[in-house]
Amino acid sequence: MLHKTSPEIGGMGHSVKRKEDLRFIQGKGTYVEDVHLPAMVYGQMVRSPYAHARIKAIRTEAARNFPGVLAVITGQDLEKAGLSWMPTLFHDKQMVLATGKVLFQSQEVAFVVAEDRYTAADAAELVEVDYEDLPVLVDPHRALDADAPILREDREEKTNHIFHWEVGDRKATDSVLQSAPVKAKLDAFFPRCHPAPLETCGCVADYNSATGKLTVWETSQAPHAHRTLFALVAGLPENNIRIIAPDIGGGFGNKVPIYPGYVCAVVASLQLGRPVKWIETRSENLQSTGFARDYHMTAELAADRDGTLRGLRVKTLADHGAFNAAAQPSKFPAGLFSICTGSYDFATAFCEVDGVYTNKAPGGIAYRCSFRVTEAAYLIERAMDVLAQELKMDPVELRLKNFVPPDKFPYQSPLGWSYDSGNYHGAMNLALEKIGYRDLRKEQEDKRQRGELMGIGISSFTEIVGAGPAHTFDIVGIKMFDSCEIRVHPTGKAIARMGTKAQGQGHETTFAQIIAQELGIPVADITVEEGDTDTAPYGLGTYASRSTPVAGAATSMASRKIREKARKIAGHLLEVNEEDLEWEPGKFYIKGAPSKSKTIQEIAFAAYTDLPPGLEAGLEAVHYYDPPNLTFPFGTYICVVDIDKGTGEVKVRRFVAVDDCGNIINPMIVEGQIHGGLTEGLAIAFMQEIAYDENGNIQGGTFMDYLVPTAVETPNWETDKTCTPSPHHPIGAKGVGESPNVGSPAAFVNAVVDALSHLGVRHIDMPITPWKVWQILKAKGVAE
Amino acid sequence: MATKKLVRVKVNGRDREAEIEPRLLLVHFIRDVLGLTGTHVGCDTTNCGACTVILDGRPVKSCTVFAIQAEGREIQTIEGVANNGQLHPLQEGFQEEHGLQCGFCTPGMILSAYALLEKNPHPTEEEIRWGISGNLCRCTGYQNIVKAVQYAANKMSEEKHAA
Amino acid sequence: MAIKIEKTFQVQEPLDGVWKFLSDPRKVAGCIPGAQVTEAVDDRTYKGLIKVQVGPSVTDYRGEAHIALLDNEKHEIQMVGKGQDVRGKGSASMKMIGQARALSDGSTEVVTVSEVNVVGLLAQLGARMIQEVSNKMFEEFTRNLRTQLQQERVGGTEQPSNSGTASQPQPIKAVPLVLTVARESAGRLFRRIFRGSGPR
Repeated sequence: MLHKTSPEIGGMGHSVKRKEDLRFIQGKGTYVEDVHLPAMVYGQMVRSPYAHARIKAIRTEAARNFPGVLAVITGQDLEKAGLSWMPTLFHDKQMVLATGKVLFQSQEVAFVVAEDRYTAADAAELVEVDYEDLPVLVDPHRALDADAPILREDREEKTNHIFHWEVGDRKATDSVLQSAPVKAKLDAFFPRCHPAPLETCGCVADYNSATGKLTVWETSQAPHAHRTLFALVAGLPENNIRIIAPDIGGGFGNKVPIYPGYVCAVVASLQLGRPVKWIETRSENLQSTGFARDYHMTAELAADRDGTLRGLRVKTLADHGAFNAAAQPSKFPAGLFSICTGSYDFATAFCEVDGVYTNKAPGGIAYRCSFRVTEAAYLIERAMDVLAQELKMDPVELRLKNFVPPDKFPYQSPLGWSYDSGNYHGAMNLALEKIGYRDLRKEQEDKRQRGELMGIGISSFTEIVGAGPAHTFDIVGIKMFDSCEIRVHPTGKAIARMGTKAQGQGHETTFAQIIAQELGIPVADITVEEGDTDTAPYGLGTYASRSTPVAGAATSMASRKIREKARKIAGHLLEVNEEDLEWEPGKFYIKGAPSKSKTIQEIAFAAYTDLPPGLEAGLEAVHYYDPPNLTFPFGTYICVVDIDKGTGEVKVRRFVAVDDCGNIINPMIVEGQIHGGLTEGLAIAFMQEIAYDENGNIQGGTFMDYLVPTAVETPNWETDKTCTPSPHHPIGAKGVGESPNVGSPAAFVNAVVDALSHLGVRHIDMPITPWKVWQILKAKGVAE
Repeated sequence: MATKKLVRVKVNGRDREAEIEPRLLLVHFIRDVLGLTGTHVGCDTTNCGACTVILDGRPVKSCTVFAIQAEGREIQTIEGVANNGQLHPLQEGFQEEHGLQCGFCTPGMILSAYALLEKNPHPTEEEIRWGISGNLCRCTGYQNIVKAVQYAANKMSEEKHAA
Repeated sequence: MAIKIEKTFQVQEPLDGVWKFLSDPRKVAGCIPGAQVTEAVDDRTYKGLIKVQVGPSVTDYRGEAHIALLDNEKHEIQMVGKGQDVRGKGSASMKMIGQARALSDGSTEVVTVSEVNVVGLLAQLGARMIQEVSNKMFEEFTRNLRTQLQQERVGGTEQPSNSGTASQPQPIKAVPLVLTVARESAGRLFRRIFRGSGPR
């Protein structure tokens, strides 16, 4: 079905070296902070030290009068323009600058604009705010207590409860859980963490008062959506707004929302008629921008004595912080969490989620997890191990017994999803072979006799990505299609633009490879651009592993439209009917006379010089793709750990990752994505948490406390793959960027628990720090 | 505001000078005053290493050095690694081995590796990992970065023997 | 962030004099680096200021302290204090119980147990330092206390110089403080690591 192309053309399956690398390795990338415009000034936020307090007064005269300061904007100023509040991406609103009260530590209170960044920082220190502190709510379990402080006075209903969402068959599941011979219950907390891309968020807002055009360079994973929102909220005509997302230093979901800093910079630029640059510091990034997870989950599994699963019941408490700024499709308050039945064939299941407000930073965003899929995968994979422990069964056996079998696809899950394709046994068996599972279990037995601690953790996850079909998916009303526009020049080179926006995923190379596959134009001859809303067709951006499933499909379809026109031109040039032509990547030839052919380059030239009568000139196409379904990448990860009894330190000895993302465009890039995602999973499992103390002080607010693994902590990752194409995708690809972050936390945690299960340990919440482990070892009497 | 001071530094082989505030950080001097934006800022607690430059032969985090401390000294930034447009083996290695994704940590990473290879032309994997442990990367998981450095070490060693 | 600080110290002065000094908030404030009493609301409640500097960031807490209990027989004092930074950088509150008793050699021992709660930037960056900063402040406090008591006994100044009239109270400068503290923390860490592997 998919032709094999030559390395020179570089279509699917080739590990083409990345085109974007050249500028990055020479330090010639253009990130937002690199943008330097004449007369540009700098903005700095003043932030609240209190988690919950009323603002009695804000005194800005000293700051305003400081030499070099051009403006000091407060919530009151924005209120006059109706901008002190802005809509979030999820049925809520959030304060741009605080009015009346503050709701989380580090909340934006005032915006100082000055000639240079140092002056702005000096002036920010001079802004004085009188606060009256209020009781703080940081425990989501207390949010619905009768005596809990009500945080959102702006909402009609005076409650901290945001939403209740449920799906599945409650009655049937309750009944099965009642009657099943074996039950396993797990309370699992997925701590609040933060994507922390190496580049923080920021923008340069440039309002040209002469032309009335606003240009915003922005760290945005979804530039078109931002443009539309700016138009709607700020009342600016959308044709006079240009968002440019240039090179972005990592996103991982952190750069999907619109942040107060962007709005303030735009307002300041409108006011001053000068470009305003706002770049947040790392502390600001960790303390106020889109966090992820913070899900308190309970899973109950019902099974027969032989391990056959009967049902799954899930209840979750979602902590959204002070505003529900979740970046997810509008009909799904808990994202795609209902994928929590995972890779297993359940007859019945039920899932309910309640969201509450707390005095913490607003969110949560989808951190490399396609809308809560990591939380779901973690829950089911941990619960399976708990059940295996209950049944005294090997966790691999339990999984193999219950995997959705290959002949049941497309599989209708009891929570409403139609899985496109899967081969869970295949991935598991390959992983088992690669890691040498049987030998490892023997080694573990031996080590246990000698009192040594070693664990093996399995995670057989199924992901759900590529949002999404128009009938079910939209973000703030905008449908989640995506697009591609291609133009082929007379000399056979091409330029293509998509509605997505890479932040390191290599689209300049991979999307060119899709076009190369479909049209036979070499990758080197194809320029791919994303991120400029003045030139790129409308799309919903890059996150939730949707680029390949949606924009990749659009690219393929647009290429095929071009191929259809090319066929007509080829027919004209070769003087035969279209039906008498065959295609191979790069040329059309006459059936039975392959030497009579026209290359795509010759056809391109003809599109401007020698057309069949009645055919429009040019060789270009645009396609907006509405995916018929989501895609379901999957895999099996196996992790081996050794625990030091003296320090509680967990060493990852080996990690095998078998991923199945269908047809692969660039194996080198896919492998890189897996490495990166596994490293993020490692960090979350062992060293990261954005925690709050009882006063709402953030405990993980800088890189001193919010730990990012270095090259020393990170092990070598062993990757492999199986290939089960998506039947509904034009090139059979599924997307893979998030799989490693989705599947790995459970593998790490399962490994540690497995190392200690013979001592009676069933579960340990993340982050699994050496201190936590050592305390368990001490309690069990095995610490050294 | 403090009186401005004249600072004279040799940057990538060229003499540069400017009048600056004593509190101006070296990274801001490089980026905003000299216009060399390849050196990046990734944190505010000296943890991430995105701002790494080479000062008198030693890799330093330029966010934690005052520009004035570089008075009379020599700095090398990422812009000075290629030789007249000819890529350094490290830069080649990063592309060959897919040692970068978003590119933000890359300049700092290359300079740390550069300094490492100057001191230790044949590092083991462990030595490479320690050598770049002051540079955080969120995208690659370091595995391909290690390969990139090994590529460069091998190439530089070959070139040395060929010469 | 609630931090418990327990401090016991001895003064070479008889109990009566020490107790009289300690039950006078103005005199006590005079010994705390960076503190000053600005107003006596009543004989149990005082308003005041305390300035703390961590690096270039200065926090000026303005607040109130109230004597909740003053037992002249048991020589026990309980104080509650709360202050807010004048610029809005955060707040701090404190509950302290102090107990003085005479020792056999005529000197006095004072035992204090305090619970300090900090909200704001200091609580994030300073959390690891708050214990150490309090230690340093306490050391300086007891140094000042001893000096004042000695001067009083010898018949010197009755009013401490920090009663809000002449000079400005000097804040404890937590940068050299932080360096000292960091050096000492590191020192303790090393001692902990090498304990048992070398002569004591």
